[in-house]
Amino acid sequence: MSDVSATMDLRRRDAADKLRGRTRYTIDRYLPGMLHAAVLRATVPSGRIVRLDTSRAARIPGVRAIVTATDAPGMIGIGIADHPLFARDVIRYDGEPLAAVAAVTLAQAQAALAAIEVEIEPLPAILTMADALAPDATLVHPDWRSYEVLLEGGARGGNVAWEATVVRGDVDAAFARPDVEIVESCFRVGRQNHVAFEPRAVVASYEDGRFHIETSTQVPWSIRNATARLLGVPASQVRVTVPPVGGGFGLKFDLAVEPFAALLARASGRPVRLVNSREEEMLTCLFRENADIRIRSAVTREGDIVGREAVVLMDCGAYGGEQIFLTTMTAHTLGGNYKLENVRMVSRAVYTNTTPNGAFRCCNGVYNTFALERHTDEIASRIGMDPLAFRRRNVLGDKDLGATGQVFESNVLGPMLDRMDTLRDATTLPPARSDGRLHGRATTVGTWFVFVGPSAATVNMNADGTVTLVTSGVEIGSGSMMQSLPQIVASTLGIAPEHVIVRAADTDAAGYDVGVGGGRTTVSLGAASLSAAQEVRTKLLKVAADMIEAAPDDLVMRDGRIEIAGAPGSGRTVAEVATRAQTVGGPVSGTGAFTGAGVPAMPGCVAGHFIDAIDIPVFAVHDCEVAVDPETGHVEVLSYRVVQDVGRALNPRAIHGQIQGGVVQGLGYALHEEVTIGDNGRVCQNGFETYRVPLALDVVPVEINLYEGAPSIGPLGTKGAGEVPILNVGAAVACAVANATGKRVQALPLTPPRVLELLLDRKPELTLPHIADKWADNLIRPH
Amino acid sequence: MGFSLTVNGDRLSCAADPATPLVDILREEMHLTGAKPVCREGFCGACMVLVDGEPTPSCLVPAALADGREIHTVEGLAPHGALNRIQTALEASDAVQCGMCFPGMVVSLTHLLTARPDASRDDIRAALTGNICRCTGYERIVEATLLALATR
Amino acid sequence: MMSGSPIQDSAVVTHDAPASIYVARSLAGALDALGEYGTAGAPFAGGTWIMRSPIRHQPLKTHYVAIGRLPELTAVRISSDAIEIGATITHAALAAALAGLPEFAGLAAAAGHSANPAIRAMATIGGNLATSEFAAADCVPALLCLDADVEISDRRGREHLSLTDFLKIRSTLAPGRLVTRIILPRTERKTAHVRLPLRRAGDYPVAIVSLSVSLDATSRVQAARIAVGSVEATARRWPRLEAALLGRPLDATAVARTATELTDEFVGRDSVDAPAWYRVSVLPGLVRRAAIAALGS
Ligand SMILES: Cc1cc2nc3c(=O)[nH]c(=O)nc-3n(C[C@H](O)[C@H](O)[C@H](O)COP(=O)(O)OP(=O)(O)OC[C@H]3O[C@@H](n4cnc5c(N)ncnc54)[C@H](O)[C@@H]3O)c2cc1C
Ligand code: FES
Ligand code: FES
Repeated sequence: MSDVSATMDLRRRDAADKLRGRTRYTIDRYLPGMLHAAVLRATVPSGRIVRLDTSRAARIPGVRAIVTATDAPGMIGIGIADHPLFARDVIRYDGEPLAAVAAVTLAQAQAALAAIEVEIEPLPAILTMADALAPDATLVHPDWRSYEVLLEGGARGGNVAWEATVVRGDVDAAFARPDVEIVESCFRVGRQNHVAFEPRAVVASYEDGRFHIETSTQVPWSIRNATARLLGVPASQVRVTVPPVGGGFGLKFDLAVEPFAALLARASGRPVRLVNSREEEMLTCLFRENADIRIRSAVTREGDIVGREAVVLMDCGAYGGEQIFLTTMTAHTLGGNYKLENVRMVSRAVYTNTTPNGAFRCCNGVYNTFALERHTDEIASRIGMDPLAFRRRNVLGDKDLGATGQVFESNVLGPMLDRMDTLRDATTLPPARSDGRLHGRATTVGTWFVFVGPSAATVNMNADGTVTLVTSGVEIGSGSMMQSLPQIVASTLGIAPEHVIVRAADTDAAGYDVGVGGGRTTVSLGAASLSAAQEVRTKLLKVAADMIEAAPDDLVMRDGRIEIAGAPGSGRTVAEVATRAQTVGGPVSGTGAFTGAGVPAMPGCVAGHFIDAIDIPVFAVHDCEVAVDPETGHVEVLSYRVVQDVGRALNPRAIHGQIQGGVVQGLGYALHEEVTIGDNGRVCQNGFETYRVPLALDVVPVEINLYEGAPSIGPLGTKGAGEVPILNVGAAVACAVANATGKRVQALPLTPPRVLELLLDRKPELTLPHIADKWADNLIRPH
Repeated sequence: MGFSLTVNGDRLSCAADPATPLVDILREEMHLTGAKPVCREGFCGACMVLVDGEPTPSCLVPAALADGREIHTVEGLAPHGALNRIQTALEASDAVQCGMCFPGMVVSLTHLLTARPDASRDDIRAALTGNICRCTGYERIVEATLLALATR
Repeated sequence: MMSGSPIQDSAVVTHDAPASIYVARSLAGALDALGEYGTAGAPFAGGTWIMRSPIRHQPLKTHYVAIGRLPELTAVRISSDAIEIGATITHAALAAALAGLPEFAGLAAAAGHSANPAIRAMATIGGNLATSEFAAADCVPALLCLDADVEISDRRGREHLSLTDFLKIRSTLAPGRLVTRIILPRTERKTAHVRLPLRRAGDYPVAIVSLSVSLDATSRVQAARIAVGSVEATARRWPRLEAALLGRPLDATAVARTATELTDEFVGRDSVDAPAWYRVSVLPGLVRRAAIAALGS
């Protein structure tokens, strides 16, 4: 219901100030009387706290408050509440908070940290998933049984924090068929650090019995609720507001520094600023998790996948966190792309004494797509089939069943592969190079989704013809809050997008929202905003109909006017109508709400899942050409192409920007960004010198084609477009490198040493002995 | 002990410790929060300022060596709140995402436009070796720079 | 039992003793101040190493003497038989000064491609040579194959020693002593510097090969210097490979083949960036590239 298109190349309203250095992110907020806080962190991965004495620290000049475990009685988590704010008696990872201090200056706060007396009895540490799953492994959480369960259904036990399974059809029978080849592949990926340029940061104050938390987050409502739970106060006592966020990528999809500052503000009665140092960010970031993956398929010589089974181990670190939820995603990512009849998959979140992992753009999907696509190439090569032909034959099409038995609608991946052929063939092949490098190319497919979930929006019509859009949405850089949301509201009301004022997130002002991430801003917040704007539209049209003496159905809203269709210049301005409406019935506003539709899975085939089927699938086809230096193992990406399913592109230019940025982040994951954990349990890469993100010379311009028209329940047919660009970059680069070198690529990132190791056959192939040979032996609870 | 520096044309004095990085003085004493301390190692360039006209990571300059120098921060590059040539081009190219790298990018590129008016695409990419962006994948920034060079 | 400690590196307000930084106006003044401070003091040149002490969890010195803008130390003097490089000339300025001198192409490449543009305009050549914990320094191997001499000064006077000897003593350089100049003899030669960062740019090199050869009238190698940097803790020459080149035409493929046979004399260093074996494995390839670059220079 709108008379003007919502599609436009609207520029970002926040750009000019960001370019002038005027934007004030959370790290730039300095309040009068503000104290500076710092957190004391454990320096062993596992241990028992024998003594923690803050009395000497409290006497350091300038110190105004010190808080410890006794100040934060609650536990939080997803699925299970296993995570306290401070280590209580037991230390489970290097970097775990022990105490927090607020002082007049940061130097004083740091001096106080050094004066806290701590005695820790070190205990043996479980640093790898192999160790965690060993038969007599020490338990990271000996008391796991006593934790409050927040969602029923996941199997748990020992060091397995959560287990999700999907079982459909008769996999044993499929594998036993005489006419199939059994292909088995193993993969391992490391962690990835978001390196959001703004570290996690907060300024908290405590006024009139309520906490006000100003923080750099993607999830204001989660911060509100989780902080309250940890502190043992009602959630209504916590207000969260969010300044512009200097990069999120999923890092800020979980609570981090907020409760420390809140506690210290209450204890000191003054505003408290807490900003992670870069080193803290590098060592305790909620990384994309490391994972071990085994996948087996039974495939006929004609190229049909008749059976598939997989085991995915995801390292959640010391606490379950996001990985508990992400066990769900394996069914939709590793179980995605291809139609499957007989399938069984188990995905396990495993506790280790390492820093907790979290969410990162296309969580779980990035490495499962890498595994699936490399496995697909291994299948094609085994049965002697062209990998593209194999994909074409097997990709999900109209009415095909996905892993959990959900029925996919419409042919999307097939036509997208055709689109990629056109894109690829249109570019002249680079002249054959005689530089001695090994060249390779690959095309990969990927399946992602939009994390729908609840959102709310209010649109207030102002008498001057502008509107104020009130949501809990956060601008993290992707531009959704600056572009698609005002575009949707503006087109519904026929006003200029500049006349849509976008209120920054404030949990006291706007209704509940799951958060900005999972590609959901345009979809969920967009849908809520759309229905709020439609309510305003209906109300205005009614008033205008009286003013113009016409039927509301005959009126259109465009160019800031409400007029009779086909009679430009008739009618009144929106401001006139709004003023009139305000006089006769009070100010006009509309509210909107949205949540997922709940597409069904096949009954009984999933266990331990948070999402049984995906409401809005999003597909991507990537193509990449690489050159590998046989002397040094350096991989150069020569060209990169993306065909992305966007539903409908409201702002094509903005989506292109997201794709270029997401692909480059994926190139970092594929080639440069490595996280390793030392024998001391500490992450080895503590800064920009050793953690390498792509630089301007490392990247290529991505050729982009937006595939529109696939079905979506999103507003105006949209899908999320900012998250998915990273999805199959690891896959495309890995397959291209495998094709270039003829070697079995089983791990990411493909750093020069790792590639040279492959070329020189320095290392035996990866096997995963901690994954039991028989699929069912990997389960805590039989499915 | 005190230092005096000229920041965006204003003579200012500061009482910081001599080893305090310039970026902290700008942000905390002078309330110029444009420059961002992102890595504090000289790799990211988000803290870039002009010291006597040269792009310099302000995380590596101690107060004592900023004494008496002429400093320009991103806040002082365009008069009266206008946008300079590179800022205009970056805005027109829809290059900005989270924006944290841009204060440094703008300082480096403002210098590049005058120092290397003939810069090619590859020259620009090489010149950005010490200016990291985590969001955009650089392409729009390079395009905008070419645009700014062309609209001389 | 052990105690907890913070993982903190934020603002450098954290140093225990408030450091003083004395900005010297003359070389004599700098040497006096350094002599005065003794072990409590150190020179501060570009500061690109010193200012990163917090991330290395190293305390700052109590006193620094800033030497970056002493006119005596920022000059490059070029004569027909030698060039003298002031210790605080920056990487960028050195690369610019050497631009017209093909015999120094290797050193110019080292100074002109290290780090990133802004750092090259700050970091000094003296700082690069003097930082003994810095294994990946670009200029060290480049200067090793140019037979560089190092001038060291203190209050009492100055002395010259070969760069090789300087590298042996630099970690125990007595307080109050300063690298003041680097002196390079001029001869006709072809030089090259090949660095291998892990990304295409901006990184410390994980391995470096610098090469300098003089060819006779029949294009045979008359003299050869090959230095390897970043592979071991300190850069050093590769005498067996140098000897193997003598008297033969410089053939990149053949040199690389010989290098492959001789790499076992290097024990690489393991670090977070790259494993030891990798640094050694890439050497023949870098030697080949250096030979090609030198022939092209
Ligand atoms: C982001 C970044 C990337 C870098 N990449 C590279 C690279 O790829 N290759 C490379 O070679 N370098 C690189 N560097 C530079 C290198 O790491 C050192 O920082 C630099 O060489 C030190 O020079 P400086 O003048 O800044 O020394 P300072 O930091 O001033 O001093 C370093 C040490 O040397 C001592 N010192 C300095 N000058 C003298 C002197 N004249 N006599 C005696 N002692 C002295 C100081 O007391 C101190 O102990 C990089 C630096 C940064 C910040
Ligand atoms: S903060 Fe100064 S270069 Fe990164
Ligand atoms: S826009 Fe976010 S770092 Fe560049």
